[in-house]
Amino acid sequence: MVTIKHILLALLIVIAGIWAAFYFFESDERKVKKQFVKLSEGVSKESAESPIAMAQKVKSIGSLISESCEIKIPFDSFSGRNTPGEVSAYAARGRSYFATLDLKFYDLTISFPEKGAADVTLTARLTGKLAAGEHVEETRELRCVLKKTEKKWLFTELEVVEVLKK
Amino acid sequence: MSPAKSRVRQFFFPSLTPKFLLRVGAVGLSAYLIFGHLCIPFRIQGISMEPTYGDGGFNFCWRLPTLFSRPERFDVVAVRLAGTRVMLLKRIVALEGERIEFRDGRLLIDGKKIEEPYVRYPSQWNLPPRQVEKDNVYVVGDNRNMPMETHHFGQTSMKRIIGVPLW
Repeated sequence: MVTIKHILLALLIVIAGIWAAFYFFESDERKVKKQFVKLSEGVSKESAESPIAMAQKVKSIGSLISESCEIKIPFDSFSGRNTPGEVSAYAARGRSYFATLDLKFYDLTISFPEKGAADVTLTARLTGKLAAGEHVEETRELRCVLKKTEKKWLFTELEVVEVLKK
Repeated sequence: MSPAKSRVRQFFFPSLTPKFLLRVGAVGLSAYLIFGHLCIPFRIQGISMEPTYGDGGFNFCWRLPTLFSRPERFDVVAVRLAGTRVMLLKRIVALEGERIEFRDGRLLIDGKKIEEPYVRYPSQWNLPPRQVEKDNVYVVGDNRNMPMETHHFGQTSMKRIIGVPLW
């Protein structure tokens, strides 16, 4: 006879199975999303960040970037092809202006136009406080291309979409 | 147990009957459709629409007007970015084909000065004339007191206009 105990046990096994499937067989979509979480963590900065923590974060940003990453920002000299070292250096310089910094991503739409390539559109929201105390808030739509290199999804293109064209 | 007590108990601890579960499902689905797609709640962050909409205000993005008609000049609209989690709240000041210009803080459309009663204490914005492209509208925030360089405005596709604030 099937008892409540049996049903609960079956339910528990199903939940454990689903959790194991998610844990051990991570989809490419989840792996790509994880890269954005890492990027967000790398860019974000809390007040009184130690130099070691800062160095680790900047290094982690570089580890997400492919050998040649094309950055396109309308009307900005920062646009062009960059190496992971260059992106890390820009990030370190940018972070140094801020006392606190928080980068969050919203509305990620991920598509895979070809094998080993992911096209992502998203909204990025950067909030922070400059070292001088001024509050900064920027919201932009981004389009990113990530390519799978040695089992890692790395950023190869990053474009700021011009939603409002002056 | 008295009938009144029984009703209170039934209200807070309902029996999980199929009818009850169906009702819960219907309420959940309606809430998802209404507040997820038709009337999206949002909180205003930033000062670009002051004094009309202040920082920290709460509102809903009502989508029906933009689904069935084209927005007009001076309408306040929500502009979507990659999705609807973060939107820009702006006012339409010029329509497709029109030439827009700012001269000493005054808005000019096709060379004519336009009265903007919603603008208070405008700065000396100067923007050379430019034409609004096909299927685009030109949107600006009401807060012209801030420097033009730090104000996010410009022309955008009609497809990005996804609703109007409910109030």
